[in-house]
Formats: sequence, C-alpha cells, structure tokens
Amino acid sequence: MSIQGVAKWFPTGRSHLHALDGIDIEIQAGEFVSLIGPSGCGKSTLLRVVGGLLPYELGTVTVDGNSPAQARDTKQIGFAPQTPSLLGWRTVRRNVTLLAEVNRRGALHPPLSEAETLELLETVGLGDFLDRLPKELSGGMQQRVSLVRCFALGAPVLLMDEPFSALDEITRNEMRYLLLDLWERTGHTVIFVTHSIPEAVILSDRVLVMATKPGRIVHSETIQLPRPRSAEMEDDDRYLSHMRSVRRALGKVSAR
Amino acid sequence: MTAQTLGPNAAGVAREPPPERPQRARRSAMVVAPIVGLAVVFAIWEFYVRVFDISRLTLPTPSSILVHLVDEPGFYWRHAQVTLREAAMGYGLALGAALLVATFMAHSRFVERASMPVIVLLQSTPVAVLAPVFLIWFGFSSWPKVLVAAVFCYIPFTINEFTGLRSVDPNAYELLRSVSAGKVEIFAKLRFPQSLPYLFSAGRLCVGLSLVGAVIGEMFGGSTEGLGNTARVGQTRLLIDQLWGSILVLALIGVIGNLLLAAVETRVLRWHSSQDLPGGPTAAR
Repeated sequence: MSIQGVAKWFPTGRSHLHALDGIDIEIQAGEFVSLIGPSGCGKSTLLRVVGGLLPYELGTVTVDGNSPAQARDTKQIGFAPQTPSLLGWRTVRRNVTLLAEVNRRGALHPPLSEAETLELLETVGLGDFLDRLPKELSGGMQQRVSLVRCFALGAPVLLMDEPFSALDEITRNEMRYLLLDLWERTGHTVIFVTHSIPEAVILSDRVLVMATKPGRIVHSETIQLPRPRSAEMEDDDRYLSHMRSVRRALGKVSAR
Repeated sequence: MTAQTLGPNAAGVAREPPPERPQRARRSAMVVAPIVGLAVVFAIWEFYVRVFDISRLTLPTPSSILVHLVDEPGFYWRHAQVTLREAAMGYGLALGAALLVATFMAHSRFVERASMPVIVLLQSTPVAVLAPVFLIWFGFSSWPKVLVAAVFCYIPFTINEFTGLRSVDPNAYELLRSVSAGKVEIFAKLRFPQSLPYLFSAGRLCVGLSLVGAVIGEMFGGSTEGLGNTARVGQTRLLIDQLWGSILVLALIGVIGNLLLAAVETRVLRWHSSQDLPGGPTAAR
C-alpha cells in the first residue's frame, strides 16, 4: 500500500479545515501499522481516505496498485468501525458473514469459508454463541464478533478505527491478544487507529505518530519486539523503550 | 485502631443467588395484566350504571350488551365481516402505498421535499369529509369505505416508515459502504429491517384507524352493511342495544387485531429492545 503526498480539506462554512497534509506512508503486505495521535489529528480521516470512503484533494493512494475506490469496489479492504455495529436482527453466525454477502460479484478475493469463519469464532471464544443475537452479548463479545466479521471478508487489507475504544481496560487488554492471534493466523495488512500507546506498541510492526492542524505524520517508530507477541513482553525493556519513545513524540505534539 | 468485624461473605464464601422469578411467570403476568385492566373498566361501568340508576337509553350495562350480542351472533358476525374486509383492505392498501412512497422519499431528498406538502395537506384535512367524495367517485361499492380506511392509515404508515428508513445506524451504513454494497443491498440488509420497529408502531396505531375509516365510510357512504351502518341505524331508530353491540364488536375486533399484530411483532422483533421483558434481555455476560 502506498500513500504519497495526500492532503485533505473539509469545507467549513466559508473556509476550509486542513485535515491532512503531506501524508507519505509505504506499507508492506502483511505489515501491522498503528496510527496514534491527539483527537482531531486526522487518524480516522486518513483511514477513510485509504478505504475509499472519503475523497482527497492532493496526492495518490494505491492499494495493491488500485485506487481506494477500486479497492473498495473489489472488496480488497475490510473495515472495523469504532462501535461493533452489529445488525441486531442477525445472529452472531449471520453477522460475521454480512460483508461477504453483499457486492459478491465485485470481490477479488474469496471470503473465508463457513468452516474457517466458525474456526475464527471458536478462536475468540464465541463458539457457543453462534445463534445468539447481539443484545444477548456483552460489549467485549460484540467487539469480538466485529473483528471476526472484518477478517471473514478475506480482504488483504484491514482498516480498524479504534475498535476497542469503548471497552473497559481489562476487556481491552484481552482483545489486543485476540486481535494478534487472528492477525497472525491470517497475515493481513492492518492499519490500526488507536489512542493507546501500549496497544499500539504491542500490536504493531510500526507506530506512526500524527500531529494536528493540519494532520501529518511526525514520528515513525519501528517496533523491534519479536513475533508472536505475548503479554509477558509488556515487561521487556524494548517494549518499555518503545513506549517511552512514542510517549515523547506524542508529548511534543501535544505541547505545540 | 479497632479491628472491623467482617461479614460471612468477606471470607469469600459464595452466597446463594436470590431466587429469580421464572420468565414464564413474568410472561403470564404480561398476558393477565390487560385482561385485569379490561375487567376493572367493565366492572366500574356496570357498577356505575346500576348504582346511579342510569337510563338504558343513555348508557346500558355491559352485561346487557353482552346478553344482546349472545342473542344475535349471526347478525353481528355478518356485518363484522363486511367492516373487517373494508378495514383490512384499506390497511393493506395504505401499507403498500406507504412502503413505496417512504422508500422513494428515504432515497431522494427531491422526492422527500416534493412529498412533504402532500403529506401535510392530507394530515391537516379531516379525512371524514373525503367519504362523500369517494362515494361520488366510486358509487355504493365497498371502495369508498376501503379508501377512507386507507387514507386514515396512510399518513402514520408513511411518516413512521420514512423515519425508520432514514434512522439508519451510520456506522453500519459506513461498514456496508466500505465494501461497495449497492442501494438495494443496503435497503434489504440494513434500512428495511432497521425500520421494522417504526413500521410495527404505526401498524398498531392503524389497526384502530382502519376500523374508524371503514366505519366512517359506512356511515357517510350510504351503506346498508357493516358495523358503521348497524350503529347508525341503532342510533337513528333508538335501538340502543344494537348501537352499543356494534360499538363493542368494533372494539373487540380492534383488540383482537392488536393482539394478533402484537404476536407477530413479538416474533419478528425479538431482536429489538422494545420486546424485552422488564429487567432486560437474558444476556450472556
């Protein structure tokens, strides 16, 4: 995935809000990249630009050689929104296949088979809840369904917009490792938006720190922790060093 | 510093959970409650008429109306069928038209803006005055009554369905857009199912409205059949039992219609919070 010189403005009455400026990112296939930064720095906007959900004014974005709109039409991008956004009338089993059911003819990559999807649901501990409705699940369980739905699409690129932001700290910590487990099984490219430094460091190959007004990347931290990652690594000196480094970069951004 | 005495649970001894009221008992209570409510109203009515010695012409007792109904079941069944058919056809016609118009309105701001004045006009017009107009247009057939019933139901159906189709979860909508789902797919998988609680809400309201429409159509439409006609004849010829018998049968049809719709709603909307018993859903948390 390549993002070159991307700039984006939002019209606000008579003037324009400069949301993104000079964004340059190259992401390798199978890489896990996190975007972190203060509120309003354009993380979610950048995610939607890459996903073809928002137009951009300058620069180029290519996803496996395609424009974001083409990537969206050919279902090369999976999206996990901030809230689980499950359809209340569909069971867990039917919610995870939702994205595979629409725009079937456009799909460049086949979705996961039913057996593979069920295996992912088992992995995240929802094997006994396949026929439950969303209202019968806790917030953490709903978010797990949302993650499996994203992976079940079979898209090579996944965009995740603060998927754990509404969860409590204990559930959130558990979800990180569930996400890592799913990602390591499937090897997708992931762009992950978060406000949490520990989350960004433990999940990512690279953490990109964004500044605000206009939104831009000011720091890139390559995480030197080995894979697979585990909770024990949170005591590793390298983990702590990356945490400090990202925190310093964020501190500079916030101080401006 | 004095040592605090700890309760038995502080040592980690598991306490027995409080006995929970079985769900079946709670459901039974939900069924019994409206019956109790109706019984109380009828009892107060009966008591009031008897104690204050109200003239039978002014207000007969519910027991005397029931006796009259039991004496003449064929008469009321025949006329109820006519009214029921007209009301059901009006209901169905309004539902179909509303689904069509609301769908177009939800997908096009132009259609929405073009339709709104017509809806406001219909909403502001006392629909009963249309009955003679429909009589002129369609003669003494059942169509004038069907159309009055339909006009009564059309506005609530359209406004509710339009609101339901527009009240789509923006995150779920964006999710479907992220894989370029088509408008028809978004309608079928998101908009329409999400609008169902709004549609059922209007549906319940329209059970009564369709009956009102059919009865008004019969009263103004020179009809010789239907409960609207039997009520009118009962009033003009001082057949008080017939007047009140017609009213009671109409109310009964309304109640049965609402109960049937509520049963369908419970099944179709079991996913929706409106169907949760007090205390919320049985969560797997």
